Amino acid sequence: MKYIPFLFKNVFRKKTRSILTILSIVLPLILICLLSSFLSVFEQTDEAETRGMFRLVTRHKVGLTNLIPSSYLDKISDLDGVLSATKFLWFGGTYIDESAKNFFARFATEPQTLLQVFDDASMVEGSTKDWERDTSGCIVGEELIKKYGWRIGDQIVLKGNIYPVTLQLTIRGIYSVPSGRADALFFNLKYLEEALPTIKGKVGTIWIKAKDPESATRLSTQIDGLFENSPYPTKTESEKAFQMGFVSMLGDIKLLITSMGVIIVLVVILIAANTISISARERIREIALLRTLGYSRLMILFFILSESLIMSLIGGLIGIIIFVLTFNPLRSFLATTPLGDLANSLTYTADTIILAFIVTTLVGIFSGIVPAIGSSRRPIIVGIRYIG
Amino acid sequence: MSAPLIRLVDIVKIYKTHASEITVLSGLNLTVDEGEFVAIMGPSGSGKTTILNLIAGIDTTTYGRIFVGSDEVTAMSESELATWRSQHIGFIFQFYNLIPSLTAYENIELPLLLTSLSKFDRKKHVLTALEIVGLTDRMSHYPRQLSGGQEQRVGIARAIVTDPTILLADEPTGNLDANSAEEILHLIESLNIKFKKTILMVTHDPNAASRSSRIIRLDKGLSKEDLIIDKIQFSST
Repeated sequence: MKYIPFLFKNVFRKKTRSILTILSIVLPLILICLLSSFLSVFEQTDEAETRGMFRLVTRHKVGLTNLIPSSYLDKISDLDGVLSATKFLWFGGTYIDESAKNFFARFATEPQTLLQVFDDASMVEGSTKDWERDTSGCIVGEELIKKYGWRIGDQIVLKGNIYPVTLQLTIRGIYSVPSGRADALFFNLKYLEEALPTIKGKVGTIWIKAKDPESATRLSTQIDGLFENSPYPTKTESEKAFQMGFVSMLGDIKLLITSMGVIIVLVVILIAANTISISARERIREIALLRTLGYSRLMILFFILSESLIMSLIGGLIGIIIFVLTFNPLRSFLATTPLGDLANSLTYTADTIILAFIVTTLVGIFSGIVPAIGSSRRPIIVGIRYIG
Repeated sequence: MSAPLIRLVDIVKIYKTHASEITVLSGLNLTVDEGEFVAIMGPSGSGKTTILNLIAGIDTTTYGRIFVGSDEVTAMSESELATWRSQHIGFIFQFYNLIPSLTAYENIELPLLLTSLSKFDRKKHVLTALEIVGLTDRMSHYPRQLSGGQEQRVGIARAIVTDPTILLADEPTGNLDANSAEEILHLIESLNIKFKKTILMVTHDPNAASRSSRIIRLDKGLSKEDLIIDKIQFSST
């Protein structure tokens, strides 16, 4: 404790240099916290599973671009352990324009069964009955209402790109989900089939609500076994596995993010090490003086390493505070970019903060260790005679 | 007659460079009694500063042994020497060697941080040292705010603050003007007379050397002449 004032004075003996070095730690650390938040999105637990939702997704075995017969739904519904099932067909299309800002999920489905399968969702305004009564009706998530300011009865025009048809839909209900990610639009599959008869009888996926975990596990294999030898073989997986399949399309994104983080940390270590080395070199005579006064090699090692850690921890603390304070505005900004879907899931936890402190500490240690060892090992007589 | 405080026995110091070996001390024998004020003079390269460095343990002998009291300096490990130095040696440098980011007070306090003294006790020691060197009104100043003479006084205060057994002064006036040099010499002299400090001082200045009670002249690594100054003129009052 008695050395702390001495250490702080050494850290800030060249104020400009110290501040610039601290800033070189602050900015990358904010980036590392952000990357860690992205990583945690891919490691989030399947809320549907933990809340006991037990949802499965059946699609064509080859890929999502291949459709499966909608008649599969009846066979699946007859299986033991299936509480409900519904059809999904991705429409896509354009709302206003093709910018990332106006992108959101748009699915054709069955109004009668959608909320039976997604029973964690609830209608906050309007009803599925209103929706069922209007073939051209749709329901939208709360997040879209906040974003666009829509109300019940408003018209939404979707211009098809996969399907050459323009749909004019009327909002008949607003839904929310516990996770807060109510950001999709659902309309009646019948409406699309009437507008485009060629797609009648085909769907992209069938979503299944199993009654318990054992059924969910058994049904995956059972469903695929039903259609194994048909012209449209299927792959059935849990909701989370299905969603992670989209992430895997981006390649090994986790490895990419981790690698970026490691490179950033290495660069910061090199910058900080350069500063500490320069500082130690400027103080060769001073360190020799301390040794003459009776300070041991170990104490010199402790001083240089501590100064490095202090600088690093100050930078780390400032970086973490800025990250926490700017997290929400940053997330809102990222939501308007092509990273919007990921950004909406972004969150930071105690693990993010702990990781930031660990990184900061490692930067302090690794950037200071070489100059510290060099300074402590230099013979006193060499230091005393040094002319810098 | 008591045993000498400092004994150098057959000291040889050879510096090795890439091309050659330089023998600085070649079998030096030297004793210093407790309370003596010894000046070491000689041409450049005669080994004057080397003697101080060897006694302080910041350099090592090639051959020979050094004793300070009952402690054999040449037998200690590095960590033992660091502890021993903090307790027994006060070093005064030609170029002061103050730490620029610390005030005069903080520079003087540095050796005391190695002790187990409380902050309050450290303060007492520092203030005492400042009073001795006459710089109490400058304790909050940084070295850049002090004159050369004042900086050296801070250096002396730092050297005496732990009440060391020996003071080693390497050309303490070498970087000062005549007036400041005189002040410093007077201060060093008083440390010997009033406080009975054992002092070894390296100097080129005959005037500085004349303040001592003994002058040792070195030549080619050996003590050529050992002149005892008439002690009557230095009797304490």
